[in-house]
Amino acid sequence: MTVAAALAHGKDVDLQGAAMRFGGFQAVAPTDLLIHAGEFFSILGPSGCGKTTILRMISGFLQPTDGRVLIGGQDMKGVGPNKRPTALIFQNLALFPLMSVWENVAFGLEARGVARGERKRRAQALLELVALGDQGDKRPSELSGGQRQRVAIARALAVEPAVLLLDEPLSALDLKLRQHMRAELRAIQRKIGITFVYITHDQGEALTMSDRIAVMNQGVIEQVDAADVLYNQPRTAFVATFVGEHNTVPGTLGATHDGVCRIDTPLGPLHALNPHALTPGSPALLFVRPERMRLLNGATKPPANAFEATLHRRDLEGAFLHLHLEAAGQSLVVHQTNTGTVPAPGTHRLGFEPDEARVLPPGALAHE
Amino acid sequence: MNSLIATYGRPLSALFLLLTALWAVGLIALPQAVMIERSLWVEERDTSVELRINALYSSLELKRFDLADAKSEARKTQVAEQIATLEAEIKTLEARESAPRKVYTLSNYTRMSSLHFTIFLKTIAYALCVTALSLMVCYPVAYAVAHLAPPTRAALMMLGLIVPYAINELLRVYAWLMILDYQGVVNTLLAWMGLVDFEARTWIPFLESSGSVFVAMVYTYILFMVFPIYNTLETLDHNQIEAGRDLGAPTWRIHQRIVIPHAKPGIAVGCLMTFMLSAGSYSVPQVITRGKAGDWFSQLIYRQFFESFNWNVGAAYSFTLLATCIGFIVLMMRLFKVGIRDIAK
Repeated sequence: MTVAAALAHGKDVDLQGAAMRFGGFQAVAPTDLLIHAGEFFSILGPSGCGKTTILRMISGFLQPTDGRVLIGGQDMKGVGPNKRPTALIFQNLALFPLMSVWENVAFGLEARGVARGERKRRAQALLELVALGDQGDKRPSELSGGQRQRVAIARALAVEPAVLLLDEPLSALDLKLRQHMRAELRAIQRKIGITFVYITHDQGEALTMSDRIAVMNQGVIEQVDAADVLYNQPRTAFVATFVGEHNTVPGTLGATHDGVCRIDTPLGPLHALNPHALTPGSPALLFVRPERMRLLNGATKPPANAFEATLHRRDLEGAFLHLHLEAAGQSLVVHQTNTGTVPAPGTHRLGFEPDEARVLPPGALAHE
Repeated sequence: MNSLIATYGRPLSALFLLLTALWAVGLIALPQAVMIERSLWVEERDTSVELRINALYSSLELKRFDLADAKSEARKTQVAEQIATLEAEIKTLEARESAPRKVYTLSNYTRMSSLHFTIFLKTIAYALCVTALSLMVCYPVAYAVAHLAPPTRAALMMLGLIVPYAINELLRVYAWLMILDYQGVVNTLLAWMGLVDFEARTWIPFLESSGSVFVAMVYTYILFMVFPIYNTLETLDHNQIEAGRDLGAPTWRIHQRIVIPHAKPGIAVGCLMTFMLSAGSYSVPQVITRGKAGDWFSQLIYRQFFESFNWNVGAAYSFTLLATCIGFIVLMMRLFKVGIRDIAK
């Protein structure tokens, strides 16, 4: 019997107007969110945005003050965390330091009254799934950070959850290990096919692992989409600035033709996509990714948007060149692939195509 | 040692060492040594000396009559000489009587009567009961303060626990006396409910049972149990409790497998302190029972010292109690598998 076959199938998680209020503080605004069964779903946002609160509502440690949480179509109202088909992996893992590794993994089974021999056998199978088959008799403190991480995963999987909830479990690891664990988590999720809900403030983690991502700010989910859609078609100013880097230029909207609008900015009139169909005269922000802007040299045909800017800093990041420019009091960043030549400081012409830029209503920006 | 010198310099280090040595010798080693020494000897009194002194006093009185009756001067001198001899003899004998011989023996330890031994055993059993009761009361309180209550309420609860300790221990015991007395608070309430009648003296005699001593003692020593447990529970990561719950464990199993193992050193320290304090407590049984329920061993020791004036037996009794308590400590440490290091934490 494989471990994967023994695990229950994933279930969907459905938040219907679920909200959380602590006294006068609205931690999570009424939220509708459907996480599909078997999906690797991430909730991405800065610290304090309410993402952990959502996780705790799903796991049952918090009861929503409004709305409801359904798991696999069943209303979870009044169902405690020990009765839900979920398992939570804590940020600090919360392994039991006084138990051996296999006892840690088997704790959920012990709580369910499974006999010791059976517990040990199933714990062993799970430890093998996470490549720790020979570490069962050690104490968690004797393992490395990455190994402890995998013990926590095995311990959560032991109770055969339909939904695995992960609360920034990689944040304590160093960069190398973190990147390795991303791949490992994704592989485990593919193998066992249960629903993963992954909380993180690290966009790299969210973008690389997830099927879909919800971006959250101040208790509100601003956008739910796949990684590429989120990156290429952000729907709010916050999403645009929180996910990846963006050049932001304020301006006033002009007329829109075929989805492309004119926006009057300190850099002069520019043209960009207008996905929200904002009306002429309304204030707006223009967003353009640093890698979609380029320095123009006379040879190529200039794009529709072109203006002059002063280059004052050049950072070589290996494969990429980060150019810091200024135009009409606006700081701009351009990312170029390193082709072997570094542009000289001074005045350059800069440009981008209208379909590389988006105009969005003004809103909170992510400050990094 | 070197690091001490490096940190504080020679003079200050020497001062620290001196103070520590003074403490260890003057306040721990010396008093114990004196007490143990005292418990190892008895004063041997010669009862025949007393009889002889009495006889000598009788003949002295007779001689004084003779002196008064004497007719001749020669006779007077003779009798006066005899009186002087008698007085000198009495003096030496009295000196022997007031300075009895010191004899080293173990008899102080072996002479305990069966009644006293029963009281000793009962005291140990009572102290164990008090310890168990305190643990049952304090563990939930410490857990609630450390993990369940929101911070402000936890601080208030802690304050509530500490405030009674601003009051003298005797007053705290007397407070319980007032509550449990024949016409105390509880009986008055019962009378008001019509369950007992003061006129007919049908009140419940709480103070005549050891239970009331237990209650007062649990209250008196509760902090010594609460604080060690609270201190260890506070270091328990709350996520571990939640992890246990998330993995489906019922509350009792979370306590059995996660919370109690973590709190073990604190529980051990609390039990040790409460046991030693209650086994050696004098004021609580003395004040609460006023002699109406059986004595505690500490009361016996007191009487040996200050009523029988037999300090040697008193010393032997108290050393017996001390040795038993130390035995209990070692047993608890074995039982809970905690080392000196865990306790020192």
